[in-house]
Amino acid sequence: MLYQEFNEFWDVARKRNIIFFYTGYFSQHVVSAISETIKARLDTAGAAGPTRRRIFSSFIEMSQNVMHYSSDSLTPNAQLDQQMRRGSFCIGTRGDSFFLLCANPVSTENVAQIRSRLEPLHSMTMEEIRLAYKKALREEAPADSKGAGLGFLTLARDASEPLEFEFAQDPQEPGSTIFCIKAII
Amino acid sequence: MQSPSPLPPLFLAATPSSPEIDFRFEQHTLSIKGESYPENAAAFYGPLNAAVRNYCETCHDAQITVHVSLAYFNSSSTKMLFTLFDILNQAAIDGNRVRLNWYHDEDDDTILEFGQELQQDFTALDFHDHAVGG
Repeated sequence: MLYQEFNEFWDVARKRNIIFFYTGYFSQHVVSAISETIKARLDTAGAAGPTRRRIFSSFIEMSQNVMHYSSDSLTPNAQLDQQMRRGSFCIGTRGDSFFLLCANPVSTENVAQIRSRLEPLHSMTMEEIRLAYKKALREEAPADSKGAGLGFLTLARDASEPLEFEFAQDPQEPGSTIFCIKAII
Repeated sequence: MQSPSPLPPLFLAATPSSPEIDFRFEQHTLSIKGESYPENAAAFYGPLNAAVRNYCETCHDAQITVHVSLAYFNSSSTKMLFTLFDILNQAAIDGNRVRLNWYHDEDDDTILEFGQELQQDFTALDFHDHAVGG
């Protein structure tokens, strides 16, 4: 019975060609541990070197977004290190490519700002993304960024198609919105 | 006049998400090796960049060798590394000779291209690209 219960759950993931998924709190230790697993998993999945590196890079950028910006935190908001914040992440295959999907709650008041960073990337060519990346590298980091303002550009650079994103009302939290981002590699 | 006492070396062991730092200021050799995706890149690299800036101020007509062998660095580390090379480039403009050995996997375009960006911006650095076979 126990095994069947578990298997049904796992079957759903298998049918969707999910090779890795995690839902819960992201901390630096969790990210390092998942990194180790993902590297080994991609080796067995037969991904080529450059593809593996792009998937790994995208995982790190997505998970650090969760760690820095998810609105569901186990650690105090003012605490800037050893953070633990909630999100979901999965890697799957579709045909010859891989996709990475990441979701986390954000404060609804930040939605417009996240959208304003992602929307322009959607219509940019790869060459324009590279130029924007080069420009951002040489600029001061935005005041509201804990990274360098390079995170989304790095994701866009590593993806083979435009990044997809979505905002959905959090059913449990009225002031909260679920931010979802997908990269195809 | 007594010459200033040499700066003590700075060593940090690698962790899964931060590189080994081996700055031997007295020998003018700075090495960074490993993977770099610390939780807070500014907190990790800030003190290192400050130490290098401090060291560069003590250098006159020195031959400085820098080895960078990073298998991966995330976006916020990229920004901090760019600042580090800016500091070293300034040291070269001020009359030191700075050789940067840039190591990357032979099929890693991202790190190769970042090296090219560095060459473009920091022309005083004596840049040497080393593609390492996998």
